[in-house]
Amino acid sequence: MNLERMPNEEKLGLCRKYYLAGFVFLPFLWLVNVVWFFKEAFVKPVYTEQIQIKTYVKRSGLGLLFWVTVLTTWITIFQHYRAEWGAVGDYLSFTIPLGIP
Amino acid sequence: MNVSDSEEDSYNERTALVVSESPPLPSYRPEPDPPNDSPTKRPGLSRRSGPPQGVSEELEDEEELTLKYGAKHVIMLFVPVTLCMVVVVTTIKSVSFYSEKTNQQLIYTPFSENTSSVGRRLLNSVLNTIIMISVIVVMTVFLVLLYKYRCYKFIHGWLILSSLMMLFWFSFMYLSEVFKTYNLAVDYPTVGLLIWNFAGVGMICIHWKGPLQLQQLYLILISALMALVFIKYLPEWSAWVILGAISIYDLVAVLSPKGPLRMLVETAQERNEPIFPALIYSSAMMWTVGMASPGDAQETDEEAEHSGGGAEPEERRPRSNTDDELEEDRGVKLGLGDFIFYSVLVGKAAVTGGDWNTTIACFVAILIGLCLTLLLLAIFKKALPALPISITFGLVFYFSTDFLVQPFMDNLAANQFYI
Repeated sequence: MNLERMPNEEKLGLCRKYYLAGFVFLPFLWLVNVVWFFKEAFVKPVYTEQIQIKTYVKRSGLGLLFWVTVLTTWITIFQHYRAEWGAVGDYLSFTIPLGIP
Repeated sequence: MNVSDSEEDSYNERTALVVSESPPLPSYRPEPDPPNDSPTKRPGLSRRSGPPQGVSEELEDEEELTLKYGAKHVIMLFVPVTLCMVVVVTTIKSVSFYSEKTNQQLIYTPFSENTSSVGRRLLNSVLNTIIMISVIVVMTVFLVLLYKYRCYKFIHGWLILSSLMMLFWFSFMYLSEVFKTYNLAVDYPTVGLLIWNFAGVGMICIHWKGPLQLQQLYLILISALMALVFIKYLPEWSAWVILGAISIYDLVAVLSPKGPLRMLVETAQERNEPIFPALIYSSAMMWTVGMASPGDAQETDEEAEHSGGGAEPEERRPRSNTDDELEEDRGVKLGLGDFIFYSVLVGKAAVTGGDWNTTIACFVAILIGLCLTLLLLAIFKKALPALPISITFGLVFYFSTDFLVQPFMDNLAANQFYI
């Protein structure tokens, strides 16, 4: 996929689809959206669809930020309190480290 | 590899055994991939029968053009192949899971190698190889038939299913092993989110539209995952015999007139459509259909048969031959099975070889083989298998390094004799 070669409407459509698809718990998709369309949205000279692409990129960025904070918070909490939670902690754990903490 | 300015020729043969398997045992059954590398080269440039008077400069330009492509394309292929091998070797060296001996075996290699006598073991490995290769041949022929009778939906569904399995199941396994190795506690929600994201974006990038680099990265990762599974579950001697047999099969399938891969290419050529947008790694950009002046990418294609997952359809559109520019579109294609079997060879060398000498020797051998194959491609301009030369070199280097060079170096070092 080369963005250079695509007509603007297609770019907009693609950006929009990536943005919408990211709502299914896919912050990685939002990241891809932001990185990929960044130049299109902010660096390139103005064209008709650019405004909308800009909105999508910005919203994807916001969503990404939201997810990153949520994930970081959760991971910190989990790592810190896992041992104390006892049974619940083990139930939630995918891998349990060996040895004595 | 095939350099062509006409339609892309890429042919890809895939032996995906995903659909037929529903594993009854808790053994991992990745579908074996028969890698068929057949660099298909469409003779885009017509054979120069001789420079007409006064156009010798053009001829030189054309020749230069070909050579220029050659060098750049070699580099364009070196990077992903190296990357794949690096991923595999790093994993093997750090995550012990993949180098542990297991009694679980793939269903395609039913004969065990834990036998007492050498002869018995050899026999078992040969039998395993025969089974594996015949499975591969059957799947290939099946695929070619499907393609011939235009059962595109079936093929696409098959590919999607196998790539789903690759992206979800194998990466899940891989992630769990990595976490166990580094003794980390990870919870189910996080893991679930990680895998879902990785696989979801992977499916979108591979089967639909996505940035080229990301797609290439996913293809490399999938090949590495597949190679790791092979390294783990193929018994020792069988693996080496299979590697040898696969390269011979590749040679036969691509070059002989009745070979399935060749038939696939020809059928696709007749129909003027992309052979099979799956399991091909491409380093160039493709034009999308809407383009008015499609420039064809000169693509060196190496087909690899990739079985079981790793369906990476390349978005390819048939291109008519234009002599104009669009040189930037020219790219190189290499089948994913090539990646996989190269990595299997290097990975096996890393597992069982003495130390880094063997691994690096095999790595260099494969790259040399790749270079030679590309050279042959530039000369012959037709479909060529990419496996035989590299694998032969790799095998030769592995065995000679392991049995000759290694003890030699050890002795030198032990006696403090520097040469």
